[in-house]
Amino acid sequence: MTESVESLERRIGALRAAVREAVLAGDRERASALRSDLRQAERDWDDALAAAEAEAGTARPGDGVRAEAARSDDDAAAGAPGPGRPDAARAGASLLPLREQVHEALSLLTVPAAPRLIATVHEAFFGGAFSAARLTSLKRDEERSFRSAPFARPYYVCAALTADLLAPARGLLAISTWPLERRVIGSLSPRVDFLTGAIRVAEAIERLPAPPPAARRLLWRFAASIPGAAGTAARMQPHEVTEAALAELAVHQAADRAARQAAARRARDQLGDAEQLFGTRIGLASSARRERREGREGR
Amino acid sequence: MNGTEARLARIRGRALAKTHNARTIAALASNPGCARRAIMDAAGVDKPRIAAHVGFPAPFGQSRFALARGNAFEAQVKAEGAAQLLTLLRERLNLPIPQAHYDDLAEVGGNPSLDLRHARTKALLARAVTSPGEAGTMFDHPLLRLAVGGRHAFLEPDLIAFQLRGRFHIVEVKSFAVIDGQADGDKVAAAAIQSAVYVLALRDALAEQHVPPEAVSHETILVCPKDFSNQPVATTLDVRKQLTVLRRQLARIARIDDLLDLLPDGLTFDLDPGGDGVPRRSPADLAAAIRQVEAAYVPECLSTCEMCYFCRDEARGCTAALGRAAREELGGVEHVATVLRLAGGAETPGVPGGTVAPGTARTPVTPDLAEAAELLRRAARLRAEASRAGAPRREAG
Amino acid sequence: MSTLTSLARAVAVATGTAQRTCTVRHVHVSARPLVFVPLALAGEAVAPLAAIVGDQPQAPALLVVAEPRDRDQRFAFAADLAAVVLRYIDGYLAEQEPTPGREPATRYADAPQLLVPNQAGITFTRLLGRSTRFRRTEGPYAVPPSVPLLGRWLTFFTERAESPSSSLMLAATDVLAAHWATGQSPVEDRNLGALLGWIDPPPGMSGAQAAAAAEDPVRCPPAGPATDPTFDNEVLDQRMLAVRAARLSGDGRAFQRAAAALTAALATQLEPTWALMWRAVALLRALPEGAHVAARWDGDKDAFTWHARHVADGGPPQPRRDGAVAAARRLASLERLHEMVAAQRAFDDPLVMAEHRLAGEAFAGRVVAAEPDRVVGAGARRVLRPRITVETGDVPPAEPGGTFTSPARPGQQARVVAVTAAGGRTRVVLELRGGMGRSLTPPPGSMPALGEFVSYAAFGDGWQPPPAFPAPEDTPWTHGGPPARYAPDDDDAREDWS
Repeated sequence: MTESVESLERRIGALRAAVREAVLAGDRERASALRSDLRQAERDWDDALAAAEAEAGTARPGDGVRAEAARSDDDAAAGAPGPGRPDAARAGASLLPLREQVHEALSLLTVPAAPRLIATVHEAFFGGAFSAARLTSLKRDEERSFRSAPFARPYYVCAALTADLLAPARGLLAISTWPLERRVIGSLSPRVDFLTGAIRVAEAIERLPAPPPAARRLLWRFAASIPGAAGTAARMQPHEVTEAALAELAVHQAADRAARQAAARRARDQLGDAEQLFGTRIGLASSARRERREGREGR
Repeated sequence: MNGTEARLARIRGRALAKTHNARTIAALASNPGCARRAIMDAAGVDKPRIAAHVGFPAPFGQSRFALARGNAFEAQVKAEGAAQLLTLLRERLNLPIPQAHYDDLAEVGGNPSLDLRHARTKALLARAVTSPGEAGTMFDHPLLRLAVGGRHAFLEPDLIAFQLRGRFHIVEVKSFAVIDGQADGDKVAAAAIQSAVYVLALRDALAEQHVPPEAVSHETILVCPKDFSNQPVATTLDVRKQLTVLRRQLARIARIDDLLDLLPDGLTFDLDPGGDGVPRRSPADLAAAIRQVEAAYVPECLSTCEMCYFCRDEARGCTAALGRAAREELGGVEHVATVLRLAGGAETPGVPGGTVAPGTARTPVTPDLAEAAELLRRAARLRAEASRAGAPRREAG
Repeated sequence: MSTLTSLARAVAVATGTAQRTCTVRHVHVSARPLVFVPLALAGEAVAPLAAIVGDQPQAPALLVVAEPRDRDQRFAFAADLAAVVLRYIDGYLAEQEPTPGREPATRYADAPQLLVPNQAGITFTRLLGRSTRFRRTEGPYAVPPSVPLLGRWLTFFTERAESPSSSLMLAATDVLAAHWATGQSPVEDRNLGALLGWIDPPPGMSGAQAAAAAEDPVRCPPAGPATDPTFDNEVLDQRMLAVRAARLSGDGRAFQRAAAALTAALATQLEPTWALMWRAVALLRALPEGAHVAARWDGDKDAFTWHARHVADGGPPQPRRDGAVAAARRLASLERLHEMVAAQRAFDDPLVMAEHRLAGEAFAGRVVAAEPDRVVGAGARRVLRPRITVETGDVPPAEPGGTFTSPARPGQQARVVAVTAAGGRTRVVLELRGGMGRSLTPPPGSMPALGEFVSYAAFGDGWQPPPAFPAPEDTPWTHGGPPARYAPDDDDAREDWS
C-alpha cells in the first residue's frame, strides 16, 4: 500500500506530463481526471515523506528557501512595510455571520459597493477579514430567503438596480432598508457613490482616537483618485479629503439625483417587491417594450 | 452569406465554433497569405485539439499567475466607477470634472447575449455623439464587430472613453510594467495593433449610425502598472501606421468564398468524437485533409498559431522555414536542396557530394534562377576557401 | 545575417548538424565565469521565483522564494543572491597589473564575467538591478546593505552587455548563434536547448531531432526567466499554496516539508539549464580565440576597475535615466564600437572576411606582380611607395582611389591605383604605404611577396588604445554618467516593489 518516495516522485513526473498533453490537446475531461490523480499522488508523497522523516527523526531544512514573515496578501500587494501578521486570516475573525458583517460595512459606507471594497472596509474598521469570494453566493441566498418569506427579516443584503433597465447592477451589493433612490445606479452614480464613500470613511476615521493603518490606507485609495484631496499618503488629512470630495460632488449631484429619482419612480410603478430588491432579468422583447414606454415618458 | 456559413460549418464539423478576438485578428493580419489559417479561423475550428490529434500539439499555454495578475490589475483600475482610470483619463484627455459617467455594457439586464450587447453598445455610443445632454464618459466591456474575410467577429476592447468634444478613445489595460517610462517593445507593439483593430471596429459600428470615422481618435490609451508597483500609468499610442497596415492586410485576406471555392466539397476537419469524447478520425486522414488547404509557414507562426508545428514539419526543406531574411539572402530560391545543388557547382564543405533530398524534383536552372545560382556558387566557393584558411589556426588553438 | 550564413544554415539542414560561421571565437570566455539562471513569476514586472548560480559546474547555489509577491522575501532573495555574486566579484579584487604609460597606473589583472542563458535573462537582470540599487539601508524601509550593492553591480553588468566590444556579460544563445548556423530559424535559435541540440546533438540523434526534443518543456524546461505555463498551473501553484497553508497553520514540520517540495520542483526547472550553460561554456572554450579579443577584454578590465573603485569611493548609483547628452553620447559610442568590432572580427577571421568579400567590401587573391623598390619624390623627400598587382575573382573595387587594409599587415595602407579586367577575373594595382620602416627598401616580409595570397578590406581594424582615465565631467556612460548630480532619496527607498 505504501509506495516509496522515489517511486511516487516518478509517478508524479509521469502524471504531470500526461496532464500537459491533455491540456494541449484541449481534452478537458481527461486533464481534470489526471489532475485529481496528480493531487492524490502529491498527497501520498507528502505522507510518505513525513513517515520517512518520523523514522529518521530529522526534518530537511528548505535549501535556501525564504518563507518567513507571513503577511496577508493585501499587505504584500500594497507593498506596505511593517511587521508580519502571522495569523492575519484567523485573528479577529468576527463572531457575526457573514451577512451581518456585510451589513456593518455597508452601513458605514451608506452607498452600494463591490465585494472587495466591502471586505476592505470591514477589515479596516471592524477587524474581521473575510474573502470577497464568499460574497458571490450571498446575494443569491438572500433572494431565495426573501422570496420564500418576504420581509421576514429586518433587512436583506440585496442588489443595486441599473437605472435604464432596472436590472441587478453587476458586482454591487446594497441594503434593502435603503430608499430606492439610493439603490438605483445611473451613469454618474458610481462616481457619486465613490465620493460619498470617501466622505464616510474620512468621517469614520475622525471618530476614532487611534485609527488603524488599514483605515488610513483605505482612505488613501479613495483620496488618490479625488482631485485636490491629498498630496501624499503621509500628509493626507481626513477633513481635506472630505472637502475635496464635497467639491466634486457638488458638480454631479443634481444630474445624478434627477436620474435616480426618475428610475426609482419607474421601479416603484413597474416592479414587484422582490424585483425592487433584486432587480429584473429581461430578454430583448421586454427591453424593447420598456424603451418604448420610456420614449413616451421622456427621461 | 448562408452558403458560406454552411460550408464553414461543414469544415468545422460537429464542434462548437471558436470566436475571433483582437489578438487572432492581428495575427491573421500579419500573415494574410495563409489560406489554411484564414479558413480555420473563419470556420472557428479548435486548432489546439486538431494539432494535438495529428501529432503536433501546440506549444502555447497561459500561466494562471499571469492571468490572475492581469485580471486583478484590470479589476483594480476599473473598481468604483473606474476611479483610477478616470484620474488617468482626466490627465490624458483633459476631461472636465462633470465628465465622469460610467456605463457597464457587460450584460443587458442580466442577459449576456452577444447580439443584444452589440446592439446596446452601438445605441449608447451613437447617443453619446448625437445627444450632448446624454453623453457618457466611460463605456466598460463594450462589444464591437469587425468584418474579417467577409464574416463578422465580435470584439471586446477593455474600455472606450468619450470626450465632450465628440471623440472616442480606445483604452486598453495591460499588466506588463512601464519602468522609468519604458516598456517591452514587443508587448507595446502587440498592444498597439490590438488597439488598432478596436479602432477599426468602433469606426465601423459608428458608421452604421452615420458618424464620421474621425470621431474615433487614432490616439489610443494604454494603461499599465508603473515601475514595480500596482499603481497605473497611462500612455498614449498613435496607431495610424497600424491602421494603414491593418486595413491593407484585412483587404488582402481573400474573401473566404474564393478560398472555399478552391477546396473539395466534402472537406472537413471534424474529429468524429465517440460517446466518450475521444476522437475516432484517423490522424493520417485528418492530416491529409489539412494539407488540402495551402499554408504559408514562417517562423513567426511559432508565436501566433497553434498549427505551427504541423506546418513547420510540412515546410522542412524550404528556405522559408529558415526565416524571411534567409530566403531573400539565398536569392529567393524556395528549397534547401535546390540551394545546395546550385551552390554545389563548387566544393561546399559539409555537403555530401551535392546530394538532393529524395523526392525533390530537380528544378531546371531558369534565367531568374541563374542569378541566384551565380550568387550561391560564389558564396560556396568563398566559404570553402575561408574554412581552409582558418583550419591551421584551429589546430594551433 | 548574410548569404554566407544562410548558406551555412542550408548546409546544416542537409547534414543535420550546425555549421560553423566563424573559425575563431570572438568573445572572451573567462576561466571562472559566474553562471546565473533566474526564474521569474509570470505576470509580474520582476518577481524573482528562483535562481541557480555559481562559478563551478559541480557546486551550484539554488535560491528559492516561496512567496514571490511578498516584498520582504524578495529582498531576502536579493540578499542571498548578493552573498554569492559579491563574493565572486571580490575574488577579482585581489590582483592588479600595471598599465604602462596610462592613468591610473594599475588595473585589476582580470575581470569577472556573468553568463545568462538568453537576452530575456539580461533584461531580467537589468530590472533586478533597477529594483534594488536605490534601496536604503536605514530607516523605515531598510534592506540589508548588500542589496543596493548587488543592484549597482547587476546594473553595471547589464550596461556593459549593451556594448558590442564587451564580454563582461554574455547571453549564451546570442554567443552560440554568432558562431554557428543551425538548420532552424533565428527565432528558434533563441531556445538554448534547441540551439545546443543542433550544435552538439547526442550520439544517434540528428540536430533537428535533438532540437525537437529540447522544445518539449517537460523533457527540457525553458531556460527562463519565463517558466513553462503548464508547470505553473499543474505544479507550482499547488506547491506554493501548500507552503502558505503550512505557514498559516503553524505546523513547523509541515512547513519544512512543503518548502522542500517547492524547492525540489523548482530545481527540476533549473538544473537542466545549468547543465546546458556549462556545455555552452565548454563548446566556446574549445574554439581558438580571435586575435583582437584580448585587447577588447582589456577594455572590460578597465571598466571593471573603474566601477569597483567608484563603488569603493562611495560614488552614487547609476541614475534611472540618461540625461539627453549622456544618451546621445552613448548612442554615438555604440555605433563606433559596432563598426570597430565588425572590422576586427573580419580581420581575425577569414570566414567573416568572406562575407565582406561577397558584399564587395573586400577582395582577395594572389600577388601576380610586385614593384618592391618603387620610390617617388625627389632628393631628400624621396619616399618608398611599392606597388603590387593582385588578381582576384571577387567583386573588385569599383574605381581607383579607395584605401584598403590587409589583416596580415594592419598598419599598412593600400591605395587602389588601377582596376583592369583580365579573362573573367580582375587585376587590382595597389600602392603601399607605411609599415615598412624609414629606409627606401622594404624589410623582408613587410609587404606582400610575389605569389602570396592576400586579402584587402575597405576598412581598418579600428584598433584604438584604451582611453585615458576620464575626468569626472566626462565620466563615460558605462560608469553612470557624471557623478554627484543624482542622489537617491526617500522616494526611491520607499518605492513600491509589489
